Amino acid sequence: MTGLLAHDALMVSVVVVLVGAVLGSLGIRGGRADWVQIAFGTVYANFVLVSLATGAMIYALVTHDFSISYVAQVGSRETPLFYTVISLWGALEGSILFWAWVLGAYSTAVVWLNRKRAGNLVPWASVTLLVVALFFAILLVGPANPFKPVFPVPADGPGPNPLLQNHILMAVHPPLLYLGYVGMTVPFAFAVGAMFSGEVASDDWIRITRPYLMVAWGFLSAAIIAGMWWSYEVLGWGGYWAWDPVENASFMPWLVATAFLHSAMVQERRGMLKLWNLNLMVGTFVLTILGTFLTRSGILSSVHAFTEGPIGYYFLVFIAIVLVAALVMVAGVSDKLHTTGHFDSPTSRETAFLLNNLFLTAFMFTVLVGTLYPLLAEALRGVKVSVGEPFFNKMTLPLIVSLLFLMGVGPALPWGSATKAEMKAKLLPPFSAAAVMAAIALAVGARNPYAVLAYAFVGYAAFANLREYWIGMKARHAAHGESWPVALARLVGGNRRRYGGYVAHLGVLLVALGIAASESFRAEREATLAPGQTITVAGHTARLKEVWGREEPQRAVIGATMEVVQNGKVVATADPRMNFYPTQSAPVPTPQVISSIGGDLYFNLMAFDQNGSHATVKLIVQPLVPWIWFGGGVVVLGAIIGIFPKRRRRTAPAAVRHPVPAVAVPLPSEGEA
Amino acid sequence: MSKRNWAILVAVILVATFGWLLYGGLNKNVVFFLTPKELVAKGANGYDVPVRLGGMVVPGSVQWNEKTLDLRFRVTDDSDTVAVHSTGAPPQMFQPGMGVVVEGKYERAGVFQATNLMVKHSNEYHPPRPGEKPEEMYKTLMKGGAS
Amino acid sequence: MNWKRAGIAALAAVPIIALFAWGFTKDPNAIPSPLPGRAAPDFSLPVFSPGQPPMTLPVGDTVRLASLRGQVVVLNFWASWCLSCRDEHRTLSQFAKRYAGKPVHFLGVLYNDRTAPALQWIEEMGGQEYPSVNDPDAHTAINYGLYGVPETYFIDGNGRVAYKQTGPVTDAILTREVDSLMAALPPSARTGGSADSAAAGLAPGTKGLQ
Repeated sequence: MTGLLAHDALMVSVVVVLVGAVLGSLGIRGGRADWVQIAFGTVYANFVLVSLATGAMIYALVTHDFSISYVAQVGSRETPLFYTVISLWGALEGSILFWAWVLGAYSTAVVWLNRKRAGNLVPWASVTLLVVALFFAILLVGPANPFKPVFPVPADGPGPNPLLQNHILMAVHPPLLYLGYVGMTVPFAFAVGAMFSGEVASDDWIRITRPYLMVAWGFLSAAIIAGMWWSYEVLGWGGYWAWDPVENASFMPWLVATAFLHSAMVQERRGMLKLWNLNLMVGTFVLTILGTFLTRSGILSSVHAFTEGPIGYYFLVFIAIVLVAALVMVAGVSDKLHTTGHFDSPTSRETAFLLNNLFLTAFMFTVLVGTLYPLLAEALRGVKVSVGEPFFNKMTLPLIVSLLFLMGVGPALPWGSATKAEMKAKLLPPFSAAAVMAAIALAVGARNPYAVLAYAFVGYAAFANLREYWIGMKARHAAHGESWPVALARLVGGNRRRYGGYVAHLGVLLVALGIAASESFRAEREATLAPGQTITVAGHTARLKEVWGREEPQRAVIGATMEVVQNGKVVATADPRMNFYPTQSAPVPTPQVISSIGGDLYFNLMAFDQNGSHATVKLIVQPLVPWIWFGGGVVVLGAIIGIFPKRRRRTAPAAVRHPVPAVAVPLPSEGEA
Repeated sequence: MSKRNWAILVAVILVATFGWLLYGGLNKNVVFFLTPKELVAKGANGYDVPVRLGGMVVPGSVQWNEKTLDLRFRVTDDSDTVAVHSTGAPPQMFQPGMGVVVEGKYERAGVFQATNLMVKHSNEYHPPRPGEKPEEMYKTLMKGGAS
Repeated sequence: MNWKRAGIAALAAVPIIALFAWGFTKDPNAIPSPLPGRAAPDFSLPVFSPGQPPMTLPVGDTVRLASLRGQVVVLNFWASWCLSCRDEHRTLSQFAKRYAGKPVHFLGVLYNDRTAPALQWIEEMGGQEYPSVNDPDAHTAINYGLYGVPETYFIDGNGRVAYKQTGPVTDAILTREVDSLMAALPPSARTGGSADSAAAGLAPGTKGLQ
């Protein structure tokens, strides 16, 4: 019953969305405002319908309604309620349903908030959103229908994939990823709207879009970090990034969106890079669809691959349409995009942004080529190859190091042109921090030149970004006698975008530091231990206490209790485990991590003896790993600060505009950057 | 030359350099996926280059020394067989007769030194693979009754 | 609109899309399976579900693959917890019924499952035309290099694996494979019903193994 109703709701949504898209575009062309209003209405209606279907699915999952195919596929009476609910996005069909729901939510918010804006930008953006929604609605009633009836009804199901119910982060990572991925549809819709409505030469679409882009970018950043964390905590190899196609798929749109966040400022401030920005925004969306296509179609070999099926062909058609349409549109309007500004000087913030864009897009292309090369090699040369981590590491390290350096240069330079004295005052002091960091790195044993450079530039950029805060606070403190915390709050509040950006920079630097330290100082050993025996890695000693077994409702668990010993005393214990699920003959490793601010001890149970007489345990020592997760949080904080445009209330506005002359501060008419 | 042409020239040079770097990087770091037959057919060219070797684990060939952590087995595609050595405990689902992919280098001594042993798993629910009966594996331990 | 530029841009998309389209014809995860064309590993497994006449086998009797030599064998690995097995069950069962009396033998092999839920499943699904045997240690599955269930092996008259289907079978695949394998049988073997072949499958004197 539930299944039929939900399926009907989805069928109706296909019709509603189709009607909305057609009426909307005809209405805009024919100047029929009432038709456009109906199109807006269909956006809301679609959201209601998809919400109904999603609610029905959650209800079916919770009530174990195995007459619905998706429930029969991922449900099980033994699975705890929490994992039952989150299995909504645990497999293909459910994740598409969730995707459609998120898209509906975003679209509704966008259309509602901008419905009164004059001009055709918003109507065309709505039509674009409806067309994308149409694709997912078609998937949901066709190849990815989660509500297929199952008859006869099974008494019980196999439960969700154990890997996905083994860790709490699985509840966090996929929704974040969808919120980030799907959110990129909104700026894309506005880019398309700008091209169709002829408003492409103005910067309005960028301004309207920015908060949505920031939201999506924040979610995507959080999702990437959460994904790394999940893979670290669950997969048992002690790493967090393997350049797997699935990881790359989430990273590529992030790179392009990050490039856009920077270059959009150049367009707003200097009237340059208009065509480039259009390309970046369209590219971000194409990459999200490409990423979904690559990971859902089974076209590439990945440890995370979803099953292949007819859905891949739908995605192929969709991606072909999107790609051709986007290229045609952008190339078609490229004539209209006249650059109104020009580069005054190579020593300026826009130069730093230009280089930043160059490196970020080169980064993206490197990842893209590395990801697609296996397919290309097989097509052209008939050989089966994989592109190993060394390729990605070697090719991207120089780019990463350059970007870290630029992160310190960009914020320090003014728009337009910097004088020699300004350059000296702004660019030289951070080198002291760089020298300190490099010295520390060399002292503790880093020898790889890229690693040393990375540490140095993390120091450089951190110094430069913090210094911007310091300069601003000092100016307010001096000009208004504000206390330091008030000065900080008003400084950030007065220009959220800029100072939010610096917070995000600091977050990225923390992530970079964590990655550099954990990669260059990782130590690991594996040993078979009898109870009482110890293993020592990089000065850390752990003793096997016992090997034990335990039965839980939905699984059985084998564990090895390890005691971390310091000076003869037990300071911590960890019990890495293997979880056995009834429907899975392979156990799911469950590593245990003991974290401290200095780094992690990572325990993984590799093998055990059936009578408990010994166990093979791997111990990995990695410094500063928690800094990566913390840094991810700081990035998100930066995004949250930057989401909201400049406050309309003018609290003590003068200070921001006229601080010490050496600081580049925007004039009030020039917006928020 | 006009300013515009200069810009185009610079862009072309940049893109070309970048492409050349990528191409060179790919050629040096690509890992070939081979079956034992293809690996053996490569002869001397097959030695000491990173390879992913895919095939079936020959039943009865698995030797696992839990003290030294040496794992030895043979991989076959029924035309040729390659001896594999790796260090570390095998994945729990590792079983004779199943398909595996090992990553590593084929050494002149005729042994494939594996750095990575992969048994495919997927993100979505997958039926159990042939292998241990979980019940039996933990039954004995549970009888011990600890915790 | 600058249509010339737009056209050139559209052309740029073609090779990318062509590459993806080509990619669909490949399975990147394929691990070469040595089985097709090779002798099917022998087994002797106990019957736990008798099937319907005329294909019935008594519960507890042992089926040996070797004794089915000379006829086509369709070996279907399944389990009660497997969702796709439901999809193909009707197809397989009805196909077997249609081909009753021809020199082809259908056999289900229960994989990683217990017989009680499996029998209940068969009842739920409205019966299974052909008998099923149990593979309690999954030894047979391992010998066949099973990737997952359902998986179906088509074995020719000489005991070689001619074709292997991973995932649910369709009527078209069954018809194609079984018809071509039956056509390749020597004329003498083309007669005789599956009731006979079922009897031939019984190793004399073995009962209730395991």
